[in-house]
Amino acid sequence: MDMKQYQQENAEIQYKHRYWGFQIATYLFLGGLGGGILFLSWVLTTFVFPGTSLVQAFMLPNFIALLAIVLGLFFLVEELGQPPVFYRAYVTATSIIKWGAVLLTIASFGDLFWLLGNWSPEVPILGFLSVFNFLGGLSGLWLGAAGIAGFGIMVYTGVMLSTLKAHSFWSTPALPILFTTSALSTACAGIMLSLCGWPGVAAMSDLVAAHHVHELLHVLDIILGFAELTILLVMVLSFLGAGNRTQQRVAQRWVKGSYAGWFWIGMIGLGLVVPLIMNASGNPAAGTIACILVLCGGCLLRFLCVWSDDRQPLEGENKYYFRQKHADMKFATYYSKPGKEMERGQTFEYIDNLY
Amino acid sequence: MTRYAMAIDQRRCIGCHSCSVACRTWNELPLDIIYNPVLGGVAEGTWPNVHRNYLPTLCMHCKNPECVPCCPTGASQQDPDGVVWVDYKKCMGCKVCVNACPYGMRDTSHMVRRFDEFVRKCTFCKERREMEPGADPYCVQTCHQKARVFGDIDDPDSAISKLIGRADTFRLLEELGTDPQIYYIPDLGGTR
Repeated sequence: MDMKQYQQENAEIQYKHRYWGFQIATYLFLGGLGGGILFLSWVLTTFVFPGTSLVQAFMLPNFIALLAIVLGLFFLVEELGQPPVFYRAYVTATSIIKWGAVLLTIASFGDLFWLLGNWSPEVPILGFLSVFNFLGGLSGLWLGAAGIAGFGIMVYTGVMLSTLKAHSFWSTPALPILFTTSALSTACAGIMLSLCGWPGVAAMSDLVAAHHVHELLHVLDIILGFAELTILLVMVLSFLGAGNRTQQRVAQRWVKGSYAGWFWIGMIGLGLVVPLIMNASGNPAAGTIACILVLCGGCLLRFLCVWSDDRQPLEGENKYYFRQKHADMKFATYYSKPGKEMERGQTFEYIDNLY
Repeated sequence: MTRYAMAIDQRRCIGCHSCSVACRTWNELPLDIIYNPVLGGVAEGTWPNVHRNYLPTLCMHCKNPECVPCCPTGASQQDPDGVVWVDYKKCMGCKVCVNACPYGMRDTSHMVRRFDEFVRKCTFCKERREMEPGADPYCVQTCHQKARVFGDIDDPDSAISKLIGRADTFRLLEELGTDPQIYYIPDLGGTR
């Protein structure tokens, strides 16, 4: 291998392998989405439009929130080294993950009880679940618990990464703000797409209230889009200009490196700017497409952030793991396979070929 | 109060990797796990004044470890003598401690059975000292250059206290506030 090729590959090396995979990125997105929907649902029904019955309108958004949280938890547990013992996550009070697990549990059960308490027998196939309607007496309590926990989840997804100061790109107060803004924005999009979609007949007054909710969320999504765009650009560009070496290396990857296409076209363009223009146009069809783009942009944000887990390398660490990854490990894993043990002479020949 | 620490003399290290081999053999580690990689080895200087500078590493057994408070299961622990270790029976393999360690000295193996992955790290050969009180970690015992010195840093008469007291030392990523307990004595022709 010549020096130029070595340097090119070296520039993109992640020290050792990436510890967290796509499961954590998906979990952060789905957790934020579910938490955001529950929070907005609680705020809108309790404080913004009190006295109106928005239960039927919010059945599908809250059902989607429950699905998102449960699916996110599935990915989280699947990513564990020992999934059958996931319940151990509730033990240590100092751990941010423990508080995340508690918030997710409260949000899930609060939402589940709220849904069951308002379940209609007209729901196809699952109409029998209306036997749990007795839970509806405490609807406000269930939604309040789920909404507050939902807010906690939105903040927690960013805080979890920002407390890990080994990773310079994560360790910034801007990240929880960015994740919370993005979670609220995707929640707005999720609610707008699913509002009043639950099977059953709603009263005209409820539909009018739901229309007002839609209008409000439409405006809110535009504001949140602007805020997210500003926070994202300020964070990445300030890292590029004034960050430490690790932050600069990651920011360079985002702005003009291997993530540039995903960042500029995917996240900034299709995930934020295009939805802003579509939402501002006022066209209902464009608004629907904008909501889908916002959801995709939010998901992409989590993936790019989780993949930016660069650590400040120790002196010579780059070279060590590069060599291990490209030569030693290949040799060692081949050599250790049963039935493929090499003779002494073959071993030396194999090593010569590797280098 | 006993406080274990290690001094690593870069002037003596020749990059033979015996410490890595001894550690791997004693701990029966899978192939993709190394507790104490010997980093560096890059040729530095201008001919004829060239040299290689090695950086033997291991868990820093920090006084303020990042990896202990973040553990949701309580598996990641620190003994009163400063040794940071993982209780494998409590670990669920969430890898938050792996991400929290600024030195990259923890990992899970991908060569074990699925659903049986737990975080592994250096324990200063804690298990060995439980069987043979006063014994050194295997990496220290194996180092034929005597580049690694292990002992109680709170004991003024210990070899490590004397060595650190009279030599110019540095610690890795000290600015993060983790108070690492591995002291390096820089190479004579070193970059520092």
